[in-house]
Formats: sequence, structure tokens, C-alpha cells
Amino acid sequence: MADLIQNLIDALALGSLYALIALGITLVYTVMGMMNFAHGEFIMLAAYALYVFAGLPFAAAVPVALLTGVLIAVLVERVAFRPVRSADLSAQLVTSLAVATILQNTVSVAVNARAQSVRTPAAISESTTLGSVSVPNLEFVTVGLTAIVLGGLGWLLYRTRTGLAMRAAAEDFEMARLLGVRADRVIAIAFAISGALAAAVGVLIVLQTGQVSPTMGLTPVLIGFVAVVIGGFGRMVGAVAGGLLLGALSSLLGVYLPDGLVPFRDAIVFTFPVLILIFRPHGLLGGEIGRARV
Amino acid sequence: MLELRQLRVGYGGIEVVHGIDLLIGRGEAVGLIGPNGAGKTSILRSVCGLVPPSAGEAVFEDRILNGMAPEQIARMGLALVPEGRHIFKTLTVAENLRLGARGAAHEGRMEQTLERFPILRERSRQRADRLSGGEQQQLAIARALLSGPKLLVLDEPSLGLAPRMIDVIYELLQGLRDDGVTMLLVEQNATRTIDFCDRCAVLSTGRVRAQGLRSELQRNPDLLRAYLGRQP
Amino acid sequence: MSGVRFRSRASLAASLLVPLALIAIVVGVGAGGTTSFQGTVTLILCNLVIVLGLQVFVGNSGVYSFGQLGFATAGAYVAAFLTLPAAFALLQTPGLPHFIADADLGPLVSTLIAAAASGLLALVVGLPLMRTSTLAIPISTFAFLLVVYNVVANWDRVTGGSGGLVSIPATTSVESAGIWAGAAVLLALAFKWSASGYRLQATREDEVAARSLGINVMRERLIAFAISGVLCGAGGALAVHQSSVLNPTTFYFAATVTTMTMLVIGGARSVFGAVIGAIAIGMVNEVLRGVENGANLLGVISIGAAPGLAAIGLGLILLATMVAMPSGLTGGQEAGELRWICRLRPAKPTTSPSTRGVLADRVPVERSAEGALRAAGISLAFSGLHVLRGIDLDLHPGEALGLVGPNGAGKTTLVNVLSGFQRPDAGAVVLDGADVTGRSPARLARHGLARTFQAALPFPQLSCLESVAVGAMAVGTGRRTAVAVATDVLDRLNLLGQARRPAGSLPPGSQRLLGVARALATRPRYLLLDEPAAGLNEVEREELIAILRKVLRDFGCGVLLIEHDMGMVMEFCPRVQVLDDGITLRTGTPEEVQADPAVIEAYLGSSYPTAVNA
Repeated sequence: MADLIQNLIDALALGSLYALIALGITLVYTVMGMMNFAHGEFIMLAAYALYVFAGLPFAAAVPVALLTGVLIAVLVERVAFRPVRSADLSAQLVTSLAVATILQNTVSVAVNARAQSVRTPAAISESTTLGSVSVPNLEFVTVGLTAIVLGGLGWLLYRTRTGLAMRAAAEDFEMARLLGVRADRVIAIAFAISGALAAAVGVLIVLQTGQVSPTMGLTPVLIGFVAVVIGGFGRMVGAVAGGLLLGALSSLLGVYLPDGLVPFRDAIVFTFPVLILIFRPHGLLGGEIGRARV
Repeated sequence: MLELRQLRVGYGGIEVVHGIDLLIGRGEAVGLIGPNGAGKTSILRSVCGLVPPSAGEAVFEDRILNGMAPEQIARMGLALVPEGRHIFKTLTVAENLRLGARGAAHEGRMEQTLERFPILRERSRQRADRLSGGEQQQLAIARALLSGPKLLVLDEPSLGLAPRMIDVIYELLQGLRDDGVTMLLVEQNATRTIDFCDRCAVLSTGRVRAQGLRSELQRNPDLLRAYLGRQP
Repeated sequence: MSGVRFRSRASLAASLLVPLALIAIVVGVGAGGTTSFQGTVTLILCNLVIVLGLQVFVGNSGVYSFGQLGFATAGAYVAAFLTLPAAFALLQTPGLPHFIADADLGPLVSTLIAAAASGLLALVVGLPLMRTSTLAIPISTFAFLLVVYNVVANWDRVTGGSGGLVSIPATTSVESAGIWAGAAVLLALAFKWSASGYRLQATREDEVAARSLGINVMRERLIAFAISGVLCGAGGALAVHQSSVLNPTTFYFAATVTTMTMLVIGGARSVFGAVIGAIAIGMVNEVLRGVENGANLLGVISIGAAPGLAAIGLGLILLATMVAMPSGLTGGQEAGELRWICRLRPAKPTTSPSTRGVLADRVPVERSAEGALRAAGISLAFSGLHVLRGIDLDLHPGEALGLVGPNGAGKTTLVNVLSGFQRPDAGAVVLDGADVTGRSPARLARHGLARTFQAALPFPQLSCLESVAVGAMAVGTGRRTAVAVATDVLDRLNLLGQARRPAGSLPPGSQRLLGVARALATRPRYLLLDEPAAGLNEVEREELIAILRKVLRDFGCGVLLIEHDMGMVMEFCPRVQVLDDGITLRTGTPEEVQADPAVIEAYLGSSYPTAVNA
């Protein structure tokens, strides 16, 4: 029984991480209609900020990482995505692929192609005991951070004027502009938030693995894409649901898979969404392909 | 206030508006009528910045609108209530209205608007897609008014509404008119528009076929011809 | 039957020979160089085979797949298994079944088997994936890439794990790679210009119109996906028999970006573009890699080793191409279609009077006047609005019915219901006695119903002849007959002179006619025309009316004309049905309708003095 609870908490933690990734991708998707391949590199670059500023105490380096995520996201939007804003979705996807390659390899050249280790606070690697269950502190942080982020995002979207403008733009971009909503600003803000979310994910991954590498963003971005697809395109709720589901699946498989199959966990996890898509081509919660709802 | 000079609009190589001249003065209510496909909506979309004109100019308060972004034009004081209303269905009535409220004195205007559209005050917290067609139309108009626009442009406000509802809407518009709001009204329904507006222009296949005051148009055979084709 | 083809003999020859010649040159250059240079050139050619595999799917469908290199991996491993001498196989892949491990096949057979295996894998993977939407395919194929990586990297006993395999016999020479590349070019072109390839291209140009013609989007994509798998598998197998080593990252993310760049910069729609792109980027890549290893600029400045510079360079090139030149260097055209080649021969198909007679005989026109298209009691509501309330409609072959009504009356919705794009809440659509209510547009197309769309551009990148022929191919006609049908239709619509021009280059009036021609190529008994005159000037409208009269006569189909241009409707349609607010207001002759007070009221509003008619 204690084991089950432990496993469920692990699943929740991993699911929360995946939900954060999916949220960052969905946010950009809802305002721009674009799936951003380079989101993984936002995660990676924010994580590298922790490496570069290893001299600082960790708590001080985290805001730097956040800032890095935000700045990179806004910069990439301005430079690379604005020119192709009116192109079709496939073209935008390929453009983001190009950006991802450039960013990934720039870091590889500038720093090193191999993984570098980052010192993390000792307390994170410890666990806290609650009754009969021992929960790693990192998982508290993950779930807690995700809850805070969801709360913050909800507050932003539903209680501020900016959030209102973003939700309107997500539903009907043209009409929002006719009411005076500035297109460029809304998109930049969406990217900025997406960058911040990516930074949070980057920090959490570093806390978990103690490492950074130029290719560390590849698997997370795919997880995010898949979570968005199975949750149903373009809906925040769907993204969170997709992320939680995928995380839970991955975590539980890690525990209950027979030993021989454990190395293939990722393969099984990524095959799973295909099955969902067969029966529900529009994702679990459905959604419009194209400009969609929050 | 608004002047269109030889305005031409096209999509993908096909020109649908072939050189339109139109003038709207402060405080006037001008109607643009004609069958569908005549180019009325294309003219509006062009004026509001959604489609760049292929030739000619749209001038609003002595500023040329060509090439400006829609949000810039909206902030200049030109508010469009588009065909089909385009209210934000996933937002509440109150949120829809808040989006419209911009600029100075918008709180006062909100109160004023809710006075004028009591049904919106009643349904303030409901999601906009719960409203009936007529209520949605009221919402769209109220939302446009909240920015205190200099020119209110309405694209087929009576579309899809029951006759009784249309009466309500036009009463509201008359109230606005009495308060001095300048209006450009695009409608398919000719007689009501001719009755309501100071002046009307009749459009058909991208050209103005007739223009004039109420009395001049009511007996004009060109009007019938524009809608129903050549007379036998 | 001579004289009428999709492209002139010169154009066809150019499209075939130019890429082959290019490959031959590359082989020649490579064969003359050092061993290491030969190796480089061979790899470029192997990459070309993969890029051609990519082109077959991405270029023709317009859908990006990021998983094709998963098939290259599969092909590479299968081929390696088959050629590794038994002793090595025992060491590196102990888990392999003996009959594979002991197999010691030659390069040709092993490559063919590898290609076939990859194709089979593509078929299996493609079945679920091609059912998903156009945006979900890039993502799920990307997932497939990762799944392949994960499986291959972890299945140590069979694949050698992340260490991979070594000592694979290096049997691919420059010449053999060149031959495979040439064969791949021919296969890619053959597919592109086959009936299936054309149907797939139609979905790329306009998915909705393609569906309405009767094309099964999923099936066409699956076919291309499988062929793509075959080519990518072959390319992988060839490459690995040159470099002699193989590991899970050989055909993974970096290679995906490289091959994608090659495709995009050449122009995804064109096979020639794939060839150019592969060779050009292959060379650029080599130069960049050279710089990566440290270089001496002018013997003065030396740049240190910087692995990753090549990838940055490629990324920048890809980015610049997407922003500035999304159609690539060739603009998506084959060698024979490029303007500087076309100028040599004027693009006119030669139809002598004798062939015209032959065509008319071979393509009999249906004149049976039985049956009807009937709608009874159609009702449809959405979002609480009653858009259609009990509509009846009756259309017979050979007659023209006009459908008019103010905006919002429900005309387009009714047409959508008749053509299968929307399902009514109540009522039935009966086509020649068969109840087809709610059937898909493709089904209806095969039953003999065709429609055009408001202001739609007919397949802009295909030639006029191809655009129209696709209509015939969509309902299952073979390629040869389709060309004959298309020629016949174009001839009757006075468009034959434009046959080889890209459809998108025609003036709007002609494009409308082309849309009608395309619908006619499906041999419909009932033709629904949705505002064909929108935006046309007086002259073009008159022309359209004349053509439509001819269509009625020659093809004997029933025509439903939805129009706002009342003048046109009155001239062309002996019977007119007026819709208003979801109900039928009046059906009658144009004169009756024009004089009907209810109709006048619907359009102009009440209190209109009807006395003005006098």
C-alpha cells in the first residue's frame, strides 16, 4: 500500500513536469497556431544559465535562468518567427526546427558537446518521510512549482487585462485586433511566458539530473508535443491532462514493467499516443486544429 | 470624417471593388446597400485594415488608412461591428465588454452602456455563447461603443435575426443616432436602411449604382435592378 | 492516340535526363578522386536516395514527416545483419536468429531486402499515422523516430546497442550508389506522375476540393509513405555499406535536419530539387565540416576545432530558405518545367482534327435523362440557429436550376448537405433513387455528383490538363483515359490551348472555367456550381454562361447554380428557387420570381413600393 502511494506520488511529480512542458508549448500554439520545436532549446539554454552562473548560490541562479528563458524566447520570436508568421503550419514547424538546430549546436560549440555537471543544493537530493512514505524533496518542489505556475497562469489569464487580451486573441485573432489589441504584443507576451515555463522545466531537470547537455531539450520537447496532441490541440486543460497522463504512464511503467522491457520504456510511452490518435484523431479532449481555444 | 477615394479592393488577383467614392460627415448615418457579393463587406474590411486596398485611398479624419494595422485604426476611433458579430464565445459578457473598453473615461461609458443595453447587465456573468442572436448583436454593438468611437461601422446587423429583434436593434441604433454617433451601416435589407439613414449608396458588382437621400432612392428603379437583375 | 500528353516530349526528356546527368557527373567526379573523396561522394549519393524518399512523401503530400530516417535506420540495420559475416555477427549481435546471422548476402540482394523490410515497416506504421490530421503527422512521425532510436539503442543483443555495429563490408562504390540514385530518381518521378501521385498532389493543393472529387486522402498518403520507406531504407542500407559502421545516432536528429534542409532548399515539390539540394548541401556540409576540424585562413588565422559549426551553418541555411525562399531553388518545378527550358519549345499540345474525332468517340457522353437529385424536408440547425427548415429540391439531368436568396438564407448550407459536407438533422437526399443522406463527399462523387467551390483556385501548381485529369483519376479512372477525358473537357470549354500552363497562372475567369472542367471530368450527372461568377467582369460572365449552356447540352448533366448575380441566373436558368431564412419562398420562372412580392420583400425589405416595376 505504501508502495502504491509512493508510486502515485512519483507519477504525479513526473506528470507535473510534463504538464509544465506541454503548457509552454500550448501557450504559443493558441496565440500563433504554431508548434514550436525550439521550445526544447529554451529549456536547454535556461538550464545552461545555471551552469554558467555556477558561482552564484543556487537560489540566486534560478532567477537568472528564468530571465534567460524569457529573453531567448522573445528574441527568437522577433528574429525567426515573425517573418514566417503568415506561412502555413508545416513551414513554421520546419523553421522552428532550424532554430532548434542552430541553438543546440551553438551551445555545443561555445561550451562543449558533452554533458557538464552542475552542483545542486544537497537538500534537493534528500527525501522527507511522511508516515510510511518517503518522498524525494525534488518531487515536492516539482508538484509545488507546477501548482504555483498553474495558479499564476490562471490568475494572469483570467484576472488581468493582458490575459483577457490573450484569451481573446487565441479565440479570434482578427476580431481582437479590430478591438485594438496589439498583435505583436500579445504574441511576444505569450512567448515570454512560454520561455519562463521552459526555464522552470530546465531548472527542475537540472535539479533531478545534476547535468546539462546540448541535446537535453530533445526528449522534453517531444514529450510536450505528444502531450499536447493527446490532450487535444490548443487547450490549456488538455495540455495539462496530456502531460499528467504521459508522466503517470512513464512513471508507472518504470515501476511495473518487467525487467527485460525497462530500457524500452520510452518507446512504449511514445507509442501510446498513436493508439489514442487512432481512436480519437482530435485528441482526448478534442480540439480544433489551427487557431484554437484556451 | 471618412472619405473613400476611388477605392479598389481585390483578393488573390480578383478585383471585387472597382473604384468607390464615398463621403461620411460627422454626425451622419450613411447606408451602404446592395445584394450580397456586391463588395460591401470587402469595402469595410479594407477600411478597417484587414485587407490592403489595391488602389485608391481611405481617409479618416485627414489621415490615410492604407497600410495601417487593424489595431491602429481601431485606436484611432473607428469601431467595426463585423458581419456575424464575432463575439468571443468562450468569454463572459462582462469580459467581452471589458475588451471594448479602452481609453479615457471608459468606466463612465461602461455604466452608460449598461443603461442602454439592460439585457447585458442582466447576463453579465454568463458565457457569451449562451446569448440569443439578438442579444449577441447587442453585445457586439455595446462592445464597439465602449471605446467611444468616432465612427461606428456596422456590417449587416440584422443578419439572422427575427423581425422583432431587428426592430429592437434599430431602435437602439436610432438612440445612438440621436446622441450624435456617426455611423456607416451596411445592409442587404434595403428599405429599412433607406428609411433609417440620412443617405444611402447602392452597390452592385463592385460599383456604386445609385446614391442619394431617402426620397430619391425610394422610387429608383436602379434599386430593384441592382437586387433582382435585368427587368424583362 | 497521339499528341495529347501532360507534357511535351522535350519537357519529359529534360525532366528525366537532367537529374540523371547531374548524378552521372557527380559519379564521374567522385570516381576520379582519392579514396576518401570517393567515400564522401558516395555518401552524398546515398543521402540523395534518402532525400528522394523524403521527397516522395513530403513533396507530394505537402505534409512534413520527421520520422523517415527511422526507416533509414531500419534498412541499415537489416542490411547490416544480412551482410555481416557469421563470425562478426556472433560477436556483435548474439541475439539475432541464426538464419539471419549466418546469412552472408551480396550488396544488391541485401539492399533490396532491406528496402522491402523498411517499406513494410512504413506500411504498418503508416496505417495508424496517416489517419491522423495534417498537424499530428509531423509530431507522431517524430515520436516514431524516437521510438526507433530507443529500441535500437537498448536492444543490445540484437542491434549491438548504443555502441552499434562495426566492420560492415564496405561494398557500396561510387558507381553503385550512382545507379541506385538514378533508379530512385526514376521511381520518384514515376510515382509523382502516376494516378496515385496526382491524387496525392491534389490533396496537397487543396484538401477539401480533393475530397469533394472523391479522393481518399488517407490511402494516397499511405501509399506515398510506404514508397518513401522503401527509398529511405535503401539509402540507409547503401550508406552503411560505405561507412562500415552503424549506430543508433547515424540516422537520427542531425541527419533528419540535414536531409530536411536538402529537401527544402532544392524545393520539396520537385524531384530535381531533391537532387540539387542533396548535392549542393552535401558539398556545403563537407566544406563546413572541414572548417569544423580547424582551418587555416590564408595561412595566417587559424580557427580551432569546433564540432557543431556545420550543423549551425545548415540550420542557418534552412532558416534563411524558409524565410526568403520557401519554394526552394527550383520553385518546386521539375527540370523540364523550368522556364529557361520551356522557352525552347512552346507548350502546346497538338490535337489534329482526326484525333479530336477519335476522342469524341472514345469518350461517350451520357445522355440518359432518367433519375433525379432530390432533397426532401432538409432541416439543419446549429448553434441554436435554424439554418434550413424543411427544404425540398428537385433537379433532373439536363436541366438548370438557379438557387438564389439573400445572404444567410441557407444556400451554401444546402449545397453542403447535398454534396455530403454537412449532415442534415432531418430530411433525405436521394440521388437517382439511392438514399445518400450523410454520405461522404467522396462517395457522392462516385455516385455522380460534383460541386465547385466559391472562389477556389483549382490546384495552382498543377497544369490545367493535370488539374482536370485529377478529377477523372479521383473517381477511379486510369491515367491514360483520364488524360483523354481531360483533353475532351478542356476542348469543349475552349481551354485546350492552356493545357500545359500552371492552373494558377490563368486569369480568374478561366480559373472558374477550369474548376467547372475539373468537376466535369468526374463525369457527373449533377453539377453544383457555387457562385462561379463572383468577381468576374461582364465579358467573362457572358463567356461563362455560354460555356454552361454548352455543358448542359454536351454533357447532359443537371446543373444547380447558386449565384448572387441575378442577371446571370435569370439568363441561364429556366427555373429558379428562392430561399429565405431557411425556407423556400418561391420556385418558378425568372419572371415569376422577379415579380413575386414575397421575394422582393425578402431582398429589399417590406414596404417597398412594388408599383415601381412599371
